[in-house]
Amino acid sequence: MKYIAIVKDQEYTIEIDPDKGILIDDVPHEIDFRRLPSGGVTSLLMNNRSISAVIEEMGDYWDVLIAGELYAVRVQDERAYRLERMRSSGLTVDGEAVVTSPMPGIIVAVPVAVGDVVRHGDKVIILESMKMENELRAPCDGVVTHVFVSPGGAVEKDQPLVGISQGGEDAPDEDTAASAE
Amino acid sequence: MLRDDGLLIKKFDKLLIANRGEIAMRILRAARELGIATVAVYSDADRNAPHVRFADEAYHIGPPPARESYLVVEKLLDVARRSGAEAIHPGYGFLAEREAFAQACTDAGIVFVGPPARAIGIMGDKLMARATVTAAGVPVVPGTTPGQSDEEMRAAAIGMGFPVLVKAAAGGGGKGMRPVNRAEELPDAFASARREAKAAFGDDTVYIEKMITEARHIEIQLLADSHGNTIYLGERECSLQRRHQKLIEEAPSFVVDADLRRRMGEVAVAAARAVDYVNAGTIEFLLDRDKNFYFLEMNTRVQVEHPVTELVTGLDIVQEQLRIARGRRLRLRQEDVRIKGWAIECRINAEDPYNNYLPSTGTITASHLPTGPGVRVDTGVHVGNEISPYYDSMISKLICYGETRGEAVLRMRRALEEYRILGVKTNIPFHQHMMDSHRFLSGQFDTKFVEERFSMDDRESSHALEAALLATLAAHEQNQRAAQIVAPGARDTSNWKWLSRWERLRR
Repeated sequence: MKYIAIVKDQEYTIEIDPDKGILIDDVPHEIDFRRLPSGGVTSLLMNNRSISAVIEEMGDYWDVLIAGELYAVRVQDERAYRLERMRSSGLTVDGEAVVTSPMPGIIVAVPVAVGDVVRHGDKVIILESMKMENELRAPCDGVVTHVFVSPGGAVEKDQPLVGISQGGEDAPDEDTAASAE
Repeated sequence: MLRDDGLLIKKFDKLLIANRGEIAMRILRAARELGIATVAVYSDADRNAPHVRFADEAYHIGPPPARESYLVVEKLLDVARRSGAEAIHPGYGFLAEREAFAQACTDAGIVFVGPPARAIGIMGDKLMARATVTAAGVPVVPGTTPGQSDEEMRAAAIGMGFPVLVKAAAGGGGKGMRPVNRAEELPDAFASARREAKAAFGDDTVYIEKMITEARHIEIQLLADSHGNTIYLGERECSLQRRHQKLIEEAPSFVVDADLRRRMGEVAVAAARAVDYVNAGTIEFLLDRDKNFYFLEMNTRVQVEHPVTELVTGLDIVQEQLRIARGRRLRLRQEDVRIKGWAIECRINAEDPYNNYLPSTGTITASHLPTGPGVRVDTGVHVGNEISPYYDSMISKLICYGETRGEAVLRMRRALEEYRILGVKTNIPFHQHMMDSHRFLSGQFDTKFVEERFSMDDRESSHALEAALLATLAAHEQNQRAAQIVAPGARDTSNWKWLSRWERLRR
């Protein structure tokens, strides 16, 4: 069985084979993996190197905590991975990026309006939560197509706040020119 | 004994803790050690919190928002009456620095474990505090006086030279504070500082202070009894902050020598005496490059970072608070205070250091605390508890002690690696990165370091491969399990050698 694991933009091909054992990017490794009875703790011996981690399933990815660092890992078998690659390759042209609320809170300000041209990293929402004002920023260059909320409004986690059409015709495209170099 | 300034001092045997989280736990422990009975309060969000279980009694005080529960004076006084608590410890935050609350306790015949209401009132108003300590000979940062118009403040700012800070008179914890680099930015800064101050403190008075650049935040811990004795317990270095929220504190400071410690300590004592201070308190100073120090404010309560001072002095500051409130004399004189070793505290917050430190909410699904020599964890959050948007994002404080600063840093690195929390993102990688940074190790930092010269981008994810492998093994195991029809109880789910098991399933 072949899996593709993606962590922090890096892909690993991990093959689990009854005859060949476990291969990571085609290199065999000696692996002993155990789940301990308490709270998601696992022990991995990888070529006798001991790694202790806590693992938790998060829906479509896994959280793996090793030595203080949290890794979000997407695991797909080869077939699902290929399918998704095929699907996603045709879809990026007129996609709309939606800025959602990362947590429940109250909208303090909406510094953008429908029709505004925004750049990646521009402030689009100021959200108050946990006694702090948090700035939410545009994930891409584009034009604001929707503003779903107004100042003073309470929002839930994952609630859509602002829609941005990615690099449509109205957006200045000097960036594209620059990045083509 | 009821003092002229409204402070009630008397022995008590039952204490109400008007707080939650780690500080409620901290106070509960101190009270228990002194044989004082304890009463906890909780909102709907905190029924499962550890402070409810650790107290002798617990009373429900309302819905999750603090203004409907932990901030409602009448509810707390009512619980004190119903439970027979003779004293209230406010912790930090919430009602700790509300003059009216301290006064209400006294009026109800309840001991407020803290300073006189009058001292809270003076020190809580930054402008009045500046005037009062200045009269006592304490140096302050140049700034404007109360009641000035925007135009007058603008002129004053131009006069003292930019950058300046717009600050809320009732402010604290960085709220209602805005740095301003040019005169044109002032109107916006006034507006946003006022908006934030109004929301946080119900008072939108602002003033202007000269911004001391390349400054370090150094504070002096004080203890004052009701018999006129005031001592200082050395300094804490709290320069590592982000948006005026302290993240890492240590004691002693890299840049404070014995002579400077004595001078700052004596000035701090003078500032406290200027308001007839009683109980534990902290004078915050800015220390500039040339080792000039300026009074910033006084925190009239126990501080989040008090443990680093406890570790280097051997004192229990919360127990001292309780003793002082019961009318006891300080057992130490100034010459008995010895600073030994080095302590560092990292505030473990539910926030994502890789995503602009955005707060992270959720339920804690795993929590394995670091232990071993020189490690202390103060926490009020256990597995199953929720980090909710109602309260601040601090999960715990990790404090490490060493004979030297180097030893404390090595311990902290080790403890951060051991600490495992799942369910929310934490800033542990931030602390790890800081503990690895040359600037931190050589003590070369100021209050702007985290925001302006520290980045998580250069942190290497050294275990990405192992993480990928572990997740794949777990996912595979789950797939296999889903594909097999196995009679309940026919398989052991713990402690099996994964590879051989997998092979057995395949055959």
